[in-house]
Amino acid sequence: MIENFLGGVAVVFQPVNLLILMSAVFIGFIGGALPGISGVILVVILLPVTYGMDATAAFMLLTAIYGSTVFSGLITAILYRAPGTPEAVMTSFDGYPMTQQGEAGKALGIGILSSAIGGLVGTVALIVFTPLLASVALQFSSPEYFALAVLGLTVVASLGGKLIYGLIGAALGLFIATVGIDPLTGTPRYTFGSLNLAEGVGLIPVIVGLFAISEVMKRASGTETQQPLTKVKVKIFDSAIMRKIALTLSRSSLLGVAIGILPGIGASTAAMVSYSEAVRWSKHPQDFGKGAPEGIAAPEAANNAAAMGALVPLFALGIPGSGTTAIILGAFIMHGLQPGPNFMMVSSDLIYAVFAGLFIVNFMILVFSKPFIKLFTKLLNTPYSVLGPIIVMCCIVGTYSVRNSMFDVWLMLGFGVLGFLLEKLRFPLVAIILGLVLGPIAESELRRSLAMSQGDMTIFLSRPISATLIGVAIALLSVSILIPLYKKYKEKRLYSANAD
Amino acid sequence: MSSKNKMIVFGSLGVAMLMGPTLAAADEAANDYPSEDLKFLVAAGAGGGTDNFTRTVQPMLEEELDTSITVINLPSASGSVAHQRTANSEPDGHTWDFASSTLVTSLAAGQNPTELEELTPVARMQSDVMTLIVNPDKHEDLEAFLSYAEENPGEVTIGGTHAASPDKMAFLSFRDASGLDISFIPYDEEGSVSSNVLSGNIDGMFGEISSTLNYIESGDMRPILVFAEDRLENFPDIPTTVENGWDLTDGNERGVFVNADTPPEIVSQMEDALKSVYDSDEYQSYEEKVNLHYREGWMGSEEYKEKLEENLELYTRLIEETNQ
Repeated sequence: MIENFLGGVAVVFQPVNLLILMSAVFIGFIGGALPGISGVILVVILLPVTYGMDATAAFMLLTAIYGSTVFSGLITAILYRAPGTPEAVMTSFDGYPMTQQGEAGKALGIGILSSAIGGLVGTVALIVFTPLLASVALQFSSPEYFALAVLGLTVVASLGGKLIYGLIGAALGLFIATVGIDPLTGTPRYTFGSLNLAEGVGLIPVIVGLFAISEVMKRASGTETQQPLTKVKVKIFDSAIMRKIALTLSRSSLLGVAIGILPGIGASTAAMVSYSEAVRWSKHPQDFGKGAPEGIAAPEAANNAAAMGALVPLFALGIPGSGTTAIILGAFIMHGLQPGPNFMMVSSDLIYAVFAGLFIVNFMILVFSKPFIKLFTKLLNTPYSVLGPIIVMCCIVGTYSVRNSMFDVWLMLGFGVLGFLLEKLRFPLVAIILGLVLGPIAESELRRSLAMSQGDMTIFLSRPISATLIGVAIALLSVSILIPLYKKYKEKRLYSANAD
Repeated sequence: MSSKNKMIVFGSLGVAMLMGPTLAAADEAANDYPSEDLKFLVAAGAGGGTDNFTRTVQPMLEEELDTSITVINLPSASGSVAHQRTANSEPDGHTWDFASSTLVTSLAAGQNPTELEELTPVARMQSDVMTLIVNPDKHEDLEAFLSYAEENPGEVTIGGTHAASPDKMAFLSFRDASGLDISFIPYDEEGSVSSNVLSGNIDGMFGEISSTLNYIESGDMRPILVFAEDRLENFPDIPTTVENGWDLTDGNERGVFVNADTPPEIVSQMEDALKSVYDSDEYQSYEEKVNLHYREGWMGSEEYKEKLEENLELYTRLIEETNQ
């Protein structure tokens, strides 16, 4: 394996291939940073270009773009609260408050470092464990996915803020997720006969609306017009911060790999679960959402690790783990390659060259991100009356390009107004996203599980992995409800004792 | 002459001038077709089989028709948006709709508001082979599968993609023909279906032979039934539906549609262009690369239309029976 990998490194260091990798990283940076332009679209646009290329170079290009878009979504998420990719939504929760406190450089540094480390952990897992991990991923079927989604949803209880708002938000997200054609029976739900709603409400319009547009509205409404900062100095290696986020980084990277490997669950879900777990295990959960460094480290390490993890089933089994990897799979076939169980054996030269390329891409991210971010931080000094409309324009173009749908743009603007109003109530917007992302998984996997067991509910408890996950969910839920109650009880006793 | 009268004179002159070209328009349009750039609507998302197909023939047709072509993906509502937009487009043959069998399956399921009469099928270019694929650890061959399903009614689960897809129609028509008590689980992605078959969580799946070739070669999956008249040259050991007495031969097909009001001259020009692309070495080598060469894909406008009408009737009946 090491020999193969070194062979791959040798291929990557051929000048042409290095040049390809560098341009891929740059293209990925730009695409990821623009809201709405996702890795999927970039890979599709570049696909025809790769047909004329040698297969190794072609796949180094495509996978490197894939890796770097997942990273660069954080730039606009942190600076303008306009997540460049869905994977970076969670990053804006703590990244943007830090920008507002004048610490954009620190926030970006944490994001870059966490991304690179997450990406490296993911790549190492990809190189070392691909054959092994793929068979683990196959153990996950509908009951396990359902249990995983339930575990994710219990996080609402520990999000902080008013619990009732969290519950309402999650329920709203779950409700939005039911709009569209029923995935199992094909019956239209809440579509009011409109074709635009048949596909359901997309994640991009909701995210872009709730976060980016509502922020522009807030800034435009005049209360906080002045620019909070003039100079952004990105510092990637800061030993004090590195000590603080070390534990979060390692936990989130591993969690990201584990979630990424599961087919059908992407980097966005990984970032969300990882953020929630960071809140859950933190000693100071009240700091999250107000600019906690761990709040940036957790989702960024996880989404980059998950992006690499999603390649595991692709290379080992020919099963794509996410949208972009599905397109890369199509590209393999167009190049006359046969991804599948024998792929690792038949095309090992190509695969190890791609692995080596991804490994090096993570270092390139560390090196090239600083000059690239300068472009964006310069923009911060332009008055918001200029910047705001530009952000809105980018949001509109990006949202439209996802499905070539003007309806999605109106939807996005509608969610912008909703987000603006909900924020005035101090409503946790993250709960809505949680429901929207996990809802479809929970619903359809529940129904698929019951179809598998002919309606027998015990299927969730008779399979070891799903039983464990559900057990953990119940335990965590009871802990997060009981501990505050206990604290209250103690305080009350203390108070009454003092009163006596 | 008062200015008012002047207006009337010039007005009627104008009308006459406008009418002239309109009368001769059909002929002329056919002569200099295409008179402007073409627009290809893809009734599917970027990166899938239909998108690949469209983008592969795009440069070939640009050369053939000496024009430039824009490709637009309209994946919303299983491609219904693309069909609707085609049906509402100018009937001049400049808007082409690239679609798969999902067009007729979603129509049968009531998810597609554009009726078959509103579109003219220009040609079918691809005909993938539908197969029943099982996990060999669970079912040895077709016989074993059939007897297991008969002895354990209601227990066999078969996967496929989406609730109104060619996979689902294959399942419904197979269940209808065989009379077995088996059930279908729709998944969102083909990857999820294959991983559930590989891990043995479900008994098998309906799918195209082209996309599961690797698992078949490695022995992790086994096709036990092909939907075809005769056994496939490349897979002579797999029994067919027809030899088992089931008249089922449909797989996923991909073709081109236009607005039904398009003049027949233009439709036949389009058909000719597609035919010469289909016959080219370049296109044939693409079909081979993506494993779509197991059977003849070409079908002309008239024949394809009849076939789609038959399919629609069958699928509508099958879905109605399921809902009862």
